[in-house]
Amino acid sequence: MDVSIIYNVEHEISLGIPIATYFYLTGLSAGSFIISTFAYGFGMTKFKPLGKIGVIMATLLLVIAPMILLIDLEQPLRFWHLILYLRITSPITWGTFLLTLYPMNCIVYGYFMFKGDMRRTKIFGLIGIPLALMVHGYTGFILALGKARILWNTAIMPPIFLVSAMVSGLAMMILVVIIKNYIIQREKEHDPTLLYDLGKFLVASIVLDLILIGTDLTVLLTSHTEAYMAALMLLKGEFSHLFLGVEVLLGAIIPLILLLLPFTKRWIPGLVIASILVMIGIFAMRYIMVVGGMSIPLS
Amino acid sequence: MVIDLRRCIGCHSCSVACKAENRVPLGVFRSWVKIIEKGRYPNITRHFLPSLCNQCDYPPCVINCPVQATWKQEDGIVIIDEHRCIGCKYCLATCPYNARYINPLIPIVQKCYFCRHRVYAGLEPACVEVCPARARIFGDLNNPEEEVTKLISKLPFQTLKPEMGTFPQVYYIAADSDAMDPFAGRKEWT
Repeated sequence: MDVSIIYNVEHEISLGIPIATYFYLTGLSAGSFIISTFAYGFGMTKFKPLGKIGVIMATLLLVIAPMILLIDLEQPLRFWHLILYLRITSPITWGTFLLTLYPMNCIVYGYFMFKGDMRRTKIFGLIGIPLALMVHGYTGFILALGKARILWNTAIMPPIFLVSAMVSGLAMMILVVIIKNYIIQREKEHDPTLLYDLGKFLVASIVLDLILIGTDLTVLLTSHTEAYMAALMLLKGEFSHLFLGVEVLLGAIIPLILLLLPFTKRWIPGLVIASILVMIGIFAMRYIMVVGGMSIPLS
Repeated sequence: MVIDLRRCIGCHSCSVACKAENRVPLGVFRSWVKIIEKGRYPNITRHFLPSLCNQCDYPPCVINCPVQATWKQEDGIVIIDEHRCIGCKYCLATCPYNARYINPLIPIVQKCYFCRHRVYAGLEPACVEVCPARARIFGDLNNPEEEVTKLISKLPFQTLKPEMGTFPQVYYIAADSDAMDPFAGRKEWT
């Protein structure tokens, strides 16, 4: 039947690029923290050069990330209400505590690592892993518990966020190691096998990420009307270029090809391109989730 | 509140009265009337859907507010403490009814609260008072003698998005399903 809307009110999209950036930065932080614990928490000695860079990146990013949240508040000076009047059912309240505990743990862990106290480094590294998982998992819950938005309200949202955090964290670590080895300390000889190993981890996590995205899309496509509309928005609607072009093709397929083909997987510029594309792709994913999710009409 | 759409004439008086009563700034609305047109000439009609905060029994905005700035009162009205709100806008994102907005003049979240100040003074909410067709009826659903209770006991009614599990407390009589559907009539979405 012909239906046309004569008059309707839609309020402006309230959460935008700042929130997407915040999700992106916590993801990078959680990813680099977990990579840093490969050597110091789990004893994989070949990843030892990443320990210190990892913890520094994790701490720095997690100092910047909550600043963006504060700027995004309409009343930034009332931020202390978050601690005084918490409501435990709200994922933002969980975040208040996680975003306080996690950087503190990062600093303690880094302090012992730089002092060379391996036993305490290991303890705080292992404490930090669940914290890092939670600090990024809770951002998945922020979206998943926003039940008005069909693109967000799915149980797969926290796992997708965790896996994409790992993807972007690994890509950032590859870039950081390449910058350190080939630009800052280029006089010294470096063993590139570390980069190839990181590349293998990156392949595994990109594949896992693609599987989760595929699962999400399959369920959206076969669920109720609103979910179907959301899936169509990603596949052929307003966000299709960003989703199919940037997130899936540039951010996952091309890096996968670069990392798997025998003549590019040991090629350092190829690694650089793959990592940059992956980082752009994950940012596009955060943007699509936040802004795309909010753009589905409610009234 | 019961909104009897058999009576609604789509005059927007409720929107205007709400704006004037609550000093709602330009660009945002606490209550508005969605209008759709459907069918093909000569079989064509307009349908109206006055929209406002549904004062849900299980409000997602309250569950998700991190600073307890919004809560459901004993009398059923969901209110916002404007001095407590930090403006994180999470409630805007979780409200399934698009009922909340950021006030562009004082940056905090606001929404309809059934003109609480008028109700406590023994008056009816501004939109109810002003409706020329008496399409909006306000009252206490716990009181069997009230007109709202009688109406929804006798007549078939609809609520918006019952699948959300929010138990909205604004009941529509004879609402059109295309008017209630956010996607109907959006060319870019179908």
